[in-house]
Amino acid sequence: MTRGRVLYHLARADFLERVRRYGFLLTLAFAAGLAFLTYSGNIALELGEYRGVYNSAWVGSMMTLVSTTFVTLAGFYMVKNTIARDRQTRVGLVLATTPMSKSLYTLGKALSNFAVLAAMVGVLAAAAAILQLARPEGAGFEPGKLLAPFIWVALPAMAMTAAVAVLFETLPVLRGGAGNVIYFFAWSAYLGLSGVTGANDYLGLGFFMRSMTSALKLVDPSHREDQFTFQAGPVVHTTKTFLWNGVDWTPQVLLGRLQWVAIAIGIAWLAALFFHRFDPAREGWRRQKTAPEPVEDRAGANELSLARAAAVQLTPLARTARGSPFGRLVLSELLLMLKGHGWWWYWVAAGLFAASLAVPNAQARQAVAAVAWLWPVLIWSQMGAREARYDTGKLVFSCAHALDRQLPAVWAAGVVVAISTGGGLGIRLLIGGDWPGFTAWMAGALFVPTLALALGVWSGSSRLFEAVYTLWWYAGPMNHVPGLDFTGMARWQFGTPFYGLAALALLATAYFGRRRKLGYA
Amino acid sequence: MQLIIDKVGKLYGGKVWALRNFSLALRPGVLGLLGPNGAGKTTLMNIIATITRATEGTVTWNGADLKREPDAVRAVLGYLPQDFGVYPNLNAVEFLEYFAAVKGLDGASARRRIDELLQLVNLADMRKRPLGGYSGGMRQRVGIAQALLNDPQLLIVDEPTAGLDPEERVRFRNLLSDLSGDRIVILSTHIVSDVEATATDIALISGGTLVAHAPPEELLRAAEGWVWEWVVPSSELGAAKQRYLISGTVRRADGVHVRLLTECAPAGAVPVAATLEDAYLHCLSTHRAQLAEVAAK
Repeated sequence: MTRGRVLYHLARADFLERVRRYGFLLTLAFAAGLAFLTYSGNIALELGEYRGVYNSAWVGSMMTLVSTTFVTLAGFYMVKNTIARDRQTRVGLVLATTPMSKSLYTLGKALSNFAVLAAMVGVLAAAAAILQLARPEGAGFEPGKLLAPFIWVALPAMAMTAAVAVLFETLPVLRGGAGNVIYFFAWSAYLGLSGVTGANDYLGLGFFMRSMTSALKLVDPSHREDQFTFQAGPVVHTTKTFLWNGVDWTPQVLLGRLQWVAIAIGIAWLAALFFHRFDPAREGWRRQKTAPEPVEDRAGANELSLARAAAVQLTPLARTARGSPFGRLVLSELLLMLKGHGWWWYWVAAGLFAASLAVPNAQARQAVAAVAWLWPVLIWSQMGAREARYDTGKLVFSCAHALDRQLPAVWAAGVVVAISTGGGLGIRLLIGGDWPGFTAWMAGALFVPTLALALGVWSGSSRLFEAVYTLWWYAGPMNHVPGLDFTGMARWQFGTPFYGLAALALLATAYFGRRRKLGYA
Repeated sequence: MQLIIDKVGKLYGGKVWALRNFSLALRPGVLGLLGPNGAGKTTLMNIIATITRATEGTVTWNGADLKREPDAVRAVLGYLPQDFGVYPNLNAVEFLEYFAAVKGLDGASARRRIDELLQLVNLADMRKRPLGGYSGGMRQRVGIAQALLNDPQLLIVDEPTAGLDPEERVRFRNLLSDLSGDRIVILSTHIVSDVEATATDIALISGGTLVAHAPPEELLRAAEGWVWEWVVPSSELGAAKQRYLISGTVRRADGVHVRLLTECAPAGAVPVAATLEDAYLHCLSTHRAQLAEVAAK
């Protein structure tokens, strides 16, 4: 029972620490926002021209799919900071000295992650009940049928997400922003496969697809499986309804769902293998290769240096010597952004630059140019959040002109990175005399770092930009969703004014966010 | 050069006053800020350093109100917070160059100043090593160098000697004394010996209010006649602790030598000269007794 008690208190303390932050309210607001989008028809489950009658089974399942598709993505980024917090607050060092086992720790952290995600699912379950009561169709309100999909599909999916988040945190290579990007692509690929195979995937997409399609085929034998769509976007009006009474929750089905809980526990346990109890000497590949080695303090051991130090006279600074060195500040910010990347990072960036300039095939060039603006995502994501991450806020913000000089310098450095990395396409557009394309590209070069700065300033973290930008990049530059491509290649007539104005609005947002944090203007 | 804090108050969360009706006028010299944990010292320093805004009252630097013109003080401020971080991938020179740029120093002045400061804080030999590998004491010395970068007229240092070895601590104290001639230095610390060695004035804060503001000599005079040394057997030490305010104990062959603060000394106790630590405890206990008396009425 002692292990159970330790597990409970580990998860409880972590959960309480999270729910007492404003960020948790944002988390619940996100869930409520998803519920509203579903209610207003902007997130819809359709089978060709059909949708299910709004009975408890359909509404519960639809809202469950909202949970498993959106919360498993956004929620992952929201909870993937539980071990990092212990490291930052140094509570981890204290925990590491206790008899608590590594597996108990990772299980406790996964449990806490699960509790946060389950709270979001709870909001969506409440919203499902409201939705059905607001739009009564078919049989009356059946709580069992409404809640069963949440319990048997959504919660196991949250358990998986919670455990994977802990695993990512314990693996040094996946701990940072690279892990966030990798998760996005892995999640996208899995989601795509789930819809195709119709298997008992942990997200439940194929699981529901199989059941709903079977029910619809009884009504309309011409219906095809590939017409099952669950998407966010403008309302598509379905014209027909069919009755679906929900999944038959047989013991076999339940066991199939419970297997995901078992797998989640296994993943959390696996994470313990990579968790090194906050030992700074075992931080993993990154530390060994690029992180600084401990420096021996030779002060006091060297009489010569001591004597030299004692003899130092500080030269008084002439007050008039200070100019307005904005350029130097931009260079300093740029150095800060770029420092710490291996040589390979610059080689890849240079390769992408050259390829987006020289590749003759237009489609291939577009793809390379898009990747060129994904490559610096971890550099941009530091913008506006660096002071919070490294706890240098008091040093920076007590300097003169922190608002009207340092913040614009960070922004300018970010724009320099955008122009440098994506410049191949810009030059190509310029050489080709494609002025509309060039101005749209330029608007994109202003938009991306400004988005990073605004999100960094307001969230105090790099994760929000990494999540939003990766999603945006995937929909826009990669999949050419109308209006979302900011690279200037989409030939959207409003691209330049839209992204130019968006950059201006975001810059103002960043300014006011920083101003609010400074206390003083 | 004058810093005036006038009836300043800071309310947190709409209900807790960390500082209330706090007034102080400072001129060049070292002000030692003393007080128990949670007394409001860091809040006061954050307000003066323009990190946070006072809820009420004004702080003026050479006549400029910091609420309206925070850059008036920021341009001449050196600030070493109690807790601060560094950018781990930068070395000491790059880190200081970055802050020199943020503070608006020109390149040539910055380079010369950084060279001098790194020698001063004894980090010249480690100047090219990334800060991520520095020990706590070394980072603290980088922080000290950062605070002195712009040759500040107002220097605020919060627990500056935390993490420094004894030798570096002594060197920093001497540095503070040397610097204080033509600037205002505010030194907050729990290490009374640091204040004893450097402060020209002491401000004692408790419960967000100013309890005393005086030169160390005046505080010491107030404690005269209150400090006694009394030798008791080990077995009676517990009873003595319950009865008197004790500022120190030393075990010797003839028993425990107890240093106690009281107006009415026990039989056998001999009067001794007060230290600043005794004066601090005496001042606080007198203040608390007065508060209790007022509350009882």
